[in-house]
Amino acid sequence: MSVPASQAWAVTRYVLKQKLLRRKQYPLVLMLEPLLRCNLACAGCGKIQYPAHILKHNLSVEKCLAATEECGAPVVSIPGGEPLMYPHIAELVEELVKRKKYIYLCTNAILLKEKLDSGYFTPSKYLTFSVHMDGLREEHDESVCQSGVYDQAVEGIREAVRLGYRVTTNTTVFDSVEPLRVREFFDAMMDLNVEGMMISPGYSYEKAPEQQHFLGREKTIRLFSQILSNKKKGWKFNHSPLFMQFLMGKRDFECTPWGNPLYNLFGWQRPCYLMQEGYAASFKELMEETPWEEYGHASGNPKCQDCMVHSGYEPTAVNATFDSLSGFKDTVIATISGKL
Amino acid sequence: MNEDQDLQNWVPELSEELSLAHVIDLAVDYRGDVTVIKHDGSVAVGYMFNRNANGATPSISLMTPGGVEQPLSIPYADIVNIKFTGRDTAAGKSYAAYQDRKQKEQAPNAGSDQ
Repeated sequence: MSVPASQAWAVTRYVLKQKLLRRKQYPLVLMLEPLLRCNLACAGCGKIQYPAHILKHNLSVEKCLAATEECGAPVVSIPGGEPLMYPHIAELVEELVKRKKYIYLCTNAILLKEKLDSGYFTPSKYLTFSVHMDGLREEHDESVCQSGVYDQAVEGIREAVRLGYRVTTNTTVFDSVEPLRVREFFDAMMDLNVEGMMISPGYSYEKAPEQQHFLGREKTIRLFSQILSNKKKGWKFNHSPLFMQFLMGKRDFECTPWGNPLYNLFGWQRPCYLMQEGYAASFKELMEETPWEEYGHASGNPKCQDCMVHSGYEPTAVNATFDSLSGFKDTVIATISGKL
Repeated sequence: MNEDQDLQNWVPELSEELSLAHVIDLAVDYRGDVTVIKHDGSVAVGYMFNRNANGATPSISLMTPGGVEQPLSIPYADIVNIKFTGRDTAAGKSYAAYQDRKQKEQAPNAGSDQ
């Protein structure tokens, strides 16, 4: 298992509580975007194309905390934009830690060493730096459209690990990847002593400049089967094993679009982290007034047909673990054996 | 060229074939500022991030450069037209630009013999 027992238990307790309350739709991870600006312009990213007055804006810490309370999820992921450019990031993290939220601060790590050296953060079991790494040096720098970023990120990871922080990597897989290179990349990341790795197929954001290299479903399954077959024992993934089996085509899941709700300066994004079809003013409005039946693979919505991204399917995998004895048994066996 | 690139600087001519509701749909998907012209003669400039087409009073939500904290809500009924006046920030060429730059880096002396 690549997360501390306390985190696994907190999530388990939360899910069991939702089951006891007979809630069918509940969030697992709040995606909190305190800003939309970034110090990179990656080809596959559709998150940062906004007018300057939007990019300059920062959510207040108070609004971030209010959204966290409103949502109630035990895990808060802070993407963006680049959250280390958010001027109140230290205060936000401190407040979330006080509230015992498990934080994944999603960063490209360009500023990580600088912030760590400046004493911005304190190591905590609640705080994980989730570093965007799309492959080894050549592939990563190509993906982020800037040379030298891989080396900066590695330097940041080393420093964070040395100082005792929890560190994971977050990798988007595009159709141009070589499975063997991805396996080499996993070895390299584990050599850096990261706690675990996250991988997901890319989603074709309508606004991303690069549209050619996103994966269709069959290709995703083929590629992930090649990458993850004969998984090495030393590789640790920050995912439910059932989600990884889904990526390999061994399981069929439906999307849980409300599992990872997104809050940013526009409000609560409908219907999910990836698609932008309007905003709700409150979390309650998002949950109660979004026509969920219009989304997900089974809905036939063309925008959902190729999507196998973790923000929609990891919550399904977590639910599958608790929904039946066989789901629980399969999760335990895969976790203990390390086999997918 | 994508649809958004075509929309920049577009001033829609509303007609039976081109409804205001359709222009609003395009505007909410547009990654640049728009200018909303209202029946009372006033205009509002900003980023349209939302619309509620199905409520009792259909309306749009606009973030203006000076009022990000308090977005404007403008009923459809008050709107005469919407101009796509701001730069389309999603008309991205960053990947192409990166590839060009990369090619130049890999062939620094290309053309020096000429």
